Amino acid sequence: MVTAVFTIISQYREGLLQGLLVTLALCLIVWVCGLTIGTLLGSLSAQYPNEVGKPSKALSFTLSGIPILVLLFWLHYPLQEMLGVVINPFFTAAFALSLVNIFAVTDIVRTALVEFPSQYIAAGKVSGLSNQEIFKKIQFPIIFRQIIPAILTTQVNMLQLTLFASLISVEEIFRVTQRINASIYKPVEIYTALAIFFLIICLPLNGLALYLKRKYTRNLSEK
Amino acid sequence: MLQATNITKRFGDKIALDNINLDIKPGTITSIIGPSGSGKTTLLRTLGMLELADTGTIALDKELYQFPLATVEGRAPWPKLTIVFQQLFIWPHLTLRGNILLPLGGNMSADQQKQFNELVELFSMEEFIDRYPNEVSLGQRQRTAIIRALMLNPEYLFLDEVTSSLDVEQTSIILSHLGDIKKRGVAVVVVTHLLNFAKSVSDQVIFLEHGKIVVSGDRTILENSSNERLREFTSLIKQAS
Repeated sequence: MVTAVFTIISQYREGLLQGLLVTLALCLIVWVCGLTIGTLLGSLSAQYPNEVGKPSKALSFTLSGIPILVLLFWLHYPLQEMLGVVINPFFTAAFALSLVNIFAVTDIVRTALVEFPSQYIAAGKVSGLSNQEIFKKIQFPIIFRQIIPAILTTQVNMLQLTLFASLISVEEIFRVTQRINASIYKPVEIYTALAIFFLIICLPLNGLALYLKRKYTRNLSEK
Repeated sequence: MLQATNITKRFGDKIALDNINLDIKPGTITSIIGPSGSGKTTLLRTLGMLELADTGTIALDKELYQFPLATVEGRAPWPKLTIVFQQLFIWPHLTLRGNILLPLGGNMSADQQKQFNELVELFSMEEFIDRYPNEVSLGQRQRTAIIRALMLNPEYLFLDEVTSSLDVEQTSIILSHLGDIKKRGVAVVVVTHLLNFAKSVSDQVIFLEHGKIVVSGDRTILENSSNERLREFTSLIKQAS
């Protein structure tokens, strides 16, 4: 079977590569948007809890009640029909998944900032450190280490969620795989190949998240 | 010298410190005692300007802080005045050595290196100085916090219940070390529940209750106070220990 899997990969490499590139492009947009806008929004939410924090929490809460598939379909069909526009499904998928990622990252960053023990800052102050030094040498490294495993796990989830884009006709790797299967009907080999692809990408990232969590995250309560 | 005049601090409707007046002289040890919730830690944090008083003044050597004050930024008294907290807040991403070195900018002069080695040896920390805070006991973290403060060579050293997790031997080492740094002219303020600690080292004892100084004086007030409430408090502590 292993040979059959690699034969199929080799035979359809161009199509698979095309699909892979679409998946990676989608993923890149989702990751970059989520990490930059989410970090910014999370920081602003912690800094301005009433002006930014509450509305962002409300949006995140509302979004968490909508299944990603429903959101994707709603943005792709009814919304575009209502607006009388046709948008490339790739961008619709990128927008929907980015939205989910942005609020996931926002929640992680906001929680880490809000729950950061102020006594660590007080200890820095009474040790004569400037606000800049406290941020650079105490606050940022601690918060970064606390959030990085959760952020990594979320990004792996986002990569997996890109598969839903196939349902609105985005030619990403899952859709390409489905089409190859439709023409040659070798589901075991084809979907095994797809599973291996995701394992190769996701497992190391999940492993890294686990490693970082074990190595760096600390109980900040000092109990 | 630190001179606090008419210091009042409120948290919402609750008066945490009520018209506090006290002097902290260089080369002395002041012990603050009192029941839980009496405002000892708030007093320490307010004198240390981590909490800003609502009214009153604090004169620290030549600097005068007149409250209310929005911030002490720009003329903060730290690390000339430093505090070791009851909850230690050793930075968790650094080893114990890293925690001590960070305020020094990461590099030590030859004198600082000598002082560091002496303190590490004095507090028996050689074995675990390169461990992370989550790999050591509370007592070991407590000793790290004390060394971190001592390495700053402060002129005013405030200690909030720092012996709470230390054994008798370590407590006695700290007592003796406080005596040494007092001789160097450092003003030490200690919040403590240990009456023997207060009796043996204090030049000034302050008994606080409901945010007010009930009685203050030299260490003899712990033995022969005319204040009934202090007598009651000391007798309760004696019974408990």
